[in-house]
Amino acid sequence: MLSVVSAGGSSVAQSVSNAPADASSIARNAMALAESGHCSEALPSLRKSIGPVKDKELRRKIGLDGVRCAMTLHQTDATLEFLHLLTREFPQDPDALYVAIHAYSDLSTSASQELARNAPSSYQAHELLAESFETQGKWEVAEKEYRAILKKDPSLPGIHFRLGRALLSKPNPGPDVASEAKQEFEQELQIDPKNAGAEYVLGELARQNQVWDEAVKRFSRAAKLDPQFGEAFLGLGASLISEKQYAEAIVPLETAVRLEPRNPDAHYNLAMAYTRAGRKQDGEKEFAIHRRIIGNEAGPAEAAPSTNQPQENK
Amino acid sequence: MKAPALGYSLGPGPTGRRDFLRGITGTFAFSALPRFARAVMQPVYPFEEVFPITSGITWKHTAGHSPQKYLPETTGAGCAFLDYDNDGWMDIFLVNSGKCDFYDPSPPLRNALYRNNRDGTFTDVTEKAGVAAGGYGQGVAVGDYDADGFPDIYVAQYGRSILYHNNGDGTFTDVTEKAGLAAPGWSSSAVWFDYDNDGRLDLFVCRFVDFDKSKNLPCTADNKLGYCIPHLYKPMSSWLFHNNGDGTFTDVSKSSGIGKYLGKGWGVVATDINNDGRMDLFVSNDTVANFLFVNRGQGTFEEIGQQAGTAYSDAGRPRSGMGVDSADFNQDGWMDLFVANIDHEAYSLYQNNHDETFDDIAAPNGIASASKLMSGWGLKFFDYDNDGNLDLMIANGHPDDLIENIYENVKYREPLLLFHNSGNGLKNVSAESGPAFAKPMSARGLAIGDFNNDGAVDVLVSTNNEAPVLLRNTIGSQNHWLGLKLVGKKANIDAVGARISYQAGDLKRSRMKVGGGSYLSSHDPRLVLGIGQHVKIDWLEIIWPQPSGLKQRFTDLPIDRYIMVREGGEKWE
Repeated sequence: MLSVVSAGGSSVAQSVSNAPADASSIARNAMALAESGHCSEALPSLRKSIGPVKDKELRRKIGLDGVRCAMTLHQTDATLEFLHLLTREFPQDPDALYVAIHAYSDLSTSASQELARNAPSSYQAHELLAESFETQGKWEVAEKEYRAILKKDPSLPGIHFRLGRALLSKPNPGPDVASEAKQEFEQELQIDPKNAGAEYVLGELARQNQVWDEAVKRFSRAAKLDPQFGEAFLGLGASLISEKQYAEAIVPLETAVRLEPRNPDAHYNLAMAYTRAGRKQDGEKEFAIHRRIIGNEAGPAEAAPSTNQPQENK
Repeated sequence: MKAPALGYSLGPGPTGRRDFLRGITGTFAFSALPRFARAVMQPVYPFEEVFPITSGITWKHTAGHSPQKYLPETTGAGCAFLDYDNDGWMDIFLVNSGKCDFYDPSPPLRNALYRNNRDGTFTDVTEKAGVAAGGYGQGVAVGDYDADGFPDIYVAQYGRSILYHNNGDGTFTDVTEKAGLAAPGWSSSAVWFDYDNDGRLDLFVCRFVDFDKSKNLPCTADNKLGYCIPHLYKPMSSWLFHNNGDGTFTDVSKSSGIGKYLGKGWGVVATDINNDGRMDLFVSNDTVANFLFVNRGQGTFEEIGQQAGTAYSDAGRPRSGMGVDSADFNQDGWMDLFVANIDHEAYSLYQNNHDETFDDIAAPNGIASASKLMSGWGLKFFDYDNDGNLDLMIANGHPDDLIENIYENVKYREPLLLFHNSGNGLKNVSAESGPAFAKPMSARGLAIGDFNNDGAVDVLVSTNNEAPVLLRNTIGSQNHWLGLKLVGKKANIDAVGARISYQAGDLKRSRMKVGGGSYLSSHDPRLVLGIGQHVKIDWLEIIWPQPSGLKQRFTDLPIDRYIMVREGGEKWE
């Protein structure tokens, strides 16, 4: 196929225009144009080909070339159209995933540049900057950005939560950081009482301090606010176990296991709850699942799996 | 301590206090006051380091750290307090590395046996005693397996372990082959205890991973070779040897159920978690679940770690279990457990729920926060201030010498931790316990023992590739105490598993003599019973281990000295 585009751009365009008019041929010619760098000419045909072309491999190539060309031409709508094709029809294809990662990354960069250009002083710009610092592990700078936003508008939803999270993420937090963070989460809940994340983190803080009734209260609220929040149900169940309320822990932990069937912590805690509530057989089943997920090598000799790969330090 | 004599007379005739003071100030002319003030103000710390120049212990551990980073290089070695010559004074044994498939030191390395000179100093008697060995040593377990009254030494090694029989004349004989205790592979901690209650000491030997030179894996951090996380190596089953009573042992690992379980054993303590009179085993494993082998009688064990809640973290994750111990730290009559782990895992204090389950109460006792970034090895519950409550000391140090390149807040050398038991829980008192608890160490083993017989239990810490650290207890003798050496007759001679209870006024306490505990180390076999400021022990009761089960009660006991109690003897000696 590439042999038809071995000449210069104009001859390629010529060869395309002379090609048969069926959908597959149009698509192939468009791909040839795209691969030779003639994206402006190629893109309309590639978009038109999405519907009529039925051949799977051809559709995959249309998607890949389409994304590349649309990104080159800064055509966001077209980019999303081709990405939609790839992610829907080729969700496990390495080429499709590779292209998608780059495309989404470039789209993200482009959007953030737009934000910086059009509204550099907006809280959204500060929030984005703070999040960027967070991803780089620059917790102190992120904290400053969140505080700058709150100085302008202390009632913006989500910012106290993010600030609290940044405070807790510091590698060497001082002795007062946990209580400082706790205040931020509480303020968040005053602004947005439906913030399940804030309730959850408050539950975790209470659990770390062994304030079990507080932990139970917070995790219960988080679970009620977001019935799909598996970790909240797990936190609730684990706190009830700590309170030796084994029977009461079973229902939330069963929910946690249902929501997060691959979470070993959920299975382990459910196993403990079952066992200590007297349901030893159910406990054994959950322990078995837990062992399978964590791949525990210890145990009866016949159950030992092989070793893992090297390149890790203790 | 009595005040020293002043060295001059106050002169003839009556001398008033005013004149006396004037005399002193005249003599010293104020120049000594700053020194005096410093002496008065000097804080009293519970332990002080006894340096080699004082103790005479000049031996150092050599790990043989190599560019290839063979894993055994970072895990040793252990230490022991023992009275090898039965003179009533604790001697010291130190384990070294040696020749193996990945290491051939020149000149050869050797273990060290130091005889206690009874004056705070020690003499190296290794060569005469014949315990220099030469293999790649890891741990040591001391026990009188043939009940001849002299403690024998088992050195757990990478390669082939050694049993040294104490000849009773200051020398030892390697009887490993005859005994059948070579335990080939990578052995770590070991413990003498009587699992089948036949009155003879059996031996449990922890085995670590399947490793030899050809199986060493290249692990990197920052493009430098480092020591691998053990989860990369295959787990192995540990050993249980039954004492046949004729100087030989039978490998009962399989028939006992122990051999069915593959682990990566580091620490072991023999205890009785369910008060059934049979000794159980708590074994820490690295990167896989810990084992709690409950002795069900008939020579069999059931592994219940998972159901008991001692196998994993609270979140159900295996950790890097290293040092272990067991004690009834809260005096409810049931033995609790402790395990130390690696950084970012926290250590666990498992409180016995009296039903073969445990709850981790490390957090409310300040242990979880104190150990969050630490890696713990040797550790022991003991009553360092003789107030009657069991305190806890932990030796720490990260196994990976590159760890500081990975985590800025985790150190390769770490200080000791000391937790004081007030009777209402443990409190971290390391920060206020002086320089001994600020010194960064690459600690591994920890053994307790009263080397100066003052009733204040001292501590020996062995380090990796450094000199051992001897800590003298400076405050234990400020309270009253009774030291106890138990000699079993029908029960095992070391009385491992004995239950001791005593009362002094309103202080009523009970103790159990566990087997082993710590990491790669072995302890003074005597028990020191603290009674605080009480000046009398009302009664002392000993329940000897099975098959004896004899209960003996004593009154009219002395204090502030050691006594020997022989099983069935009418009076203490």
